[in-house]
Amino acid sequence: MDFRFTEDQITLRDSVREYLEGTHTPELLRKLDEHGNRDDGVWNGLVEMGLAGLLVPEDQGGLGMGLIEATLIAVELGRANVSEPIVDTAFVAAPWLAAKGQTDRLGDIAGGALKVALAHDVNPWVADLDQAGAVISHGKLADVAASPVALDSVDPLRRLSARGDLGGGDPLLLDLAALMAAAQLVGAADRMLALAVDYAKQREQFGQPIGSFQAVKHHAASVAVKVEFAKPVLWRAAYALQNGHARGSVHISHAKLAATDAAIFAAETAIQIHGAMGYTYEVDLHFWMKRAWALAGAWGDRAFHLKRIDDAVIGGGIDLGPDRTFASEMIHA
Amino acid sequence: MDLNYTPEQQAFRAEVRAWMEAHVPKTPLKTLEGREGYDQHVEWERTLASGNWGMVTWPEAYGGRNLDLIRWLIFEEEYYRAKAPLRANQNGIFLLGPTIMEYGTDEQKARFLTPMAKGEIMWAQAWSEPNAGSDMAAIRSRAVRDGDHYVISGQKTWSSRAAFADWCFGLFRTDQDSKRHKGLSFILLPLDSPGVTVRPIRQLHGETGFAEIFFDEVRVPVENRIAGEGEGWNVAMATAGFERGLMLRSPARFQATAKRLVELYRQHEAHASPAAREAVTQAWTDAEAYALNTYMVASTIQAGGHIGAEASLNKIFWSELDRSMHRTAMSLLGAAAELRTFADGAMNEWLEGYIFSLSGPIYAGSNEIQRNIIAERLLGLPR
Ligand SMILES: Cc1cc2nc3c(=O)[nH]c(=O)nc-3n(C[C@H](O)[C@H](O)[C@H](O)COP(=O)(O)OP(=O)(O)OC[C@H]3O[C@@H](n4cnc5c(N)ncnc54)[C@H](O)[C@@H]3O)c2cc1C
Repeated sequence: MDFRFTEDQITLRDSVREYLEGTHTPELLRKLDEHGNRDDGVWNGLVEMGLAGLLVPEDQGGLGMGLIEATLIAVELGRANVSEPIVDTAFVAAPWLAAKGQTDRLGDIAGGALKVALAHDVNPWVADLDQAGAVISHGKLADVAASPVALDSVDPLRRLSARGDLGGGDPLLLDLAALMAAAQLVGAADRMLALAVDYAKQREQFGQPIGSFQAVKHHAASVAVKVEFAKPVLWRAAYALQNGHARGSVHISHAKLAATDAAIFAAETAIQIHGAMGYTYEVDLHFWMKRAWALAGAWGDRAFHLKRIDDAVIGGGIDLGPDRTFASEMIHA
Repeated sequence: MDLNYTPEQQAFRAEVRAWMEAHVPKTPLKTLEGREGYDQHVEWERTLASGNWGMVTWPEAYGGRNLDLIRWLIFEEEYYRAKAPLRANQNGIFLLGPTIMEYGTDEQKARFLTPMAKGEIMWAQAWSEPNAGSDMAAIRSRAVRDGDHYVISGQKTWSSRAAFADWCFGLFRTDQDSKRHKGLSFILLPLDSPGVTVRPIRQLHGETGFAEIFFDEVRVPVENRIAGEGEGWNVAMATAGFERGLMLRSPARFQATAKRLVELYRQHEAHASPAAREAVTQAWTDAEAYALNTYMVASTIQAGGHIGAEASLNKIFWSELDRSMHRTAMSLLGAAAELRTFADGAMNEWLEGYIFSLSGPIYAGSNEIQRNIIAERLLGLPR
């Protein structure tokens, strides 16, 4: 029993964080917003970092890492508000294809040549379908046929298309994508808290920084509690899915729920702390807030995941009590 | 990351489980907040000690088993699984014990830790005063040096179970010209010392669970001081850290409550609201989150890390979780919630628990104070 990341995992996360802090700035987000919101330079940078092949086996040109590393990095992508379809392609499609034994295009994914979109009945849209070279739909990797009908998201950096006949109810696809949405929500929540705290240190009223007012402090502290307690739930969900645990889906739903609640709470609190500035299109905050709204409903909304937990907890599918936290891990040990 | 127990950890769990099954009293003890129940709980402490289970993480030299924090969590899980009694010894083993371990002299360790692990001496905390609650630096009780003794005068209040305990520990002003955090010392003394008067206070539930302590020129030997004269504030902050941190409220306690809450829900499902159902599910998720976080922190500490102001996140999380679980139970019970004992004669533990849960956000540093700490020390907002 050791609930920690390895030093290698921390190093990897830190290098991705540092890279994104340096390159994927709020100025870049504004530029993307004005100029068509996707950028080959950004995509190529992520590919050069090795992210496209992170989960692709080494003999197919990837780094052969696992979902724990991918989840850690998805948090960073959420923190930086990366909108290129790297998570869908590399952290969802790649492990899904590998699990299904559909391995022939994994090399293309690792090399950054193939972007994969994901269609599932749980969403009325498909993200980045217009950019994708292929789409996972009804249990297999398919070509993108007719030119997709665009849908307009509140999130200016999301590119959505109508799902049409694409879709299917694949449970593994849903679990992978819900886990990665949860990770990005945690990253976004962290960032929104940081933006609010930075603002509260600078903005002065009544002759002092608003961050010295206790009402503002307590708002921020409450967000910190919510975000920090979502994290271990997320790590555990990644671990459970990585190791194929029987109750993995329940843990993923828990992570999605906790991450959603943390991010929405962070968004509402952060806008409050920004005052009218928070209600503008000028301030950085809005990018993350809108991403949080989008991801909150994506890959199973609150009601969907609550129901999956409810079925297990009240319905009796999961053992309860103080000695059962790692019970599903124990079964598979 | 490895979320499996080792075979040795599983064997340890089995050992604790077998011992608890053989020893935990079959009928629940009376409340810890009253004389009769307190004595029963002290007897239980001695039973625990007879099995060498007093404080498993302590060195063997002081009556412990020298076990790591993961085993401590396993011990706690089995403890609550077996519905073992609350710990009358908690102020000693969870708070004063670690403080002495860190700041005490070898003599003090030998003198205080072993009897503590054996459940021989029960401790009360004496920090709060009528005018020093959240603002503990406003402490006025004085300890005036007289040769190799201190002469203590003043008043403490809200001291949990002081009416039943043997000794108390707390902060006293040893430098009479000092202000605020300076000039305070951390001193231990027997509650039956001449000049000590303990006046019980009835708590919300009606029992005399805490007390005022009056000191009238009480003579205490200087060797009862932990750490240097005037260094008491830092020592007390460490003690408070232990209280908010890993030990005082182990996740097992809340997971046991969450499990009982699910069972209660199933009994009352027919008339339960969807909101109550969601709150029950949320109880389980939050109790799990708290457990997971604790395992993470324990793993980190074990690997040489430490937690500081993060303890404030914990304290807020468990106290608000506990209150919300009990509030949910009260709403499920509906018109029966007010009954102290149900029509079938069973005690309404939810009512007792709800009342107690209302104190969680107040004691061990109120949740407002914890939010101040988080904002200023973790987030870096200006004072
Ligand atoms: C069940 C129980 C057991 C206890 N056991 C012990 C014990 O064994 N030993 C002991 O010494 N004490 C004990 N206490 C006392 C406890 O430590 C104090 O109640 C606590 O420190 C708060 O102090 P207070 O009650 O004087 O409240 P106050 O300090 O008067 O606070 C009242 C309210 O004002 C708020 N407030 C105060 N200052 C601030 C601030 N700076 N910013 C924002 N809000 C603020 C508080 O959060 C609270 O909501 C116990 C209390 C309870 C309820």
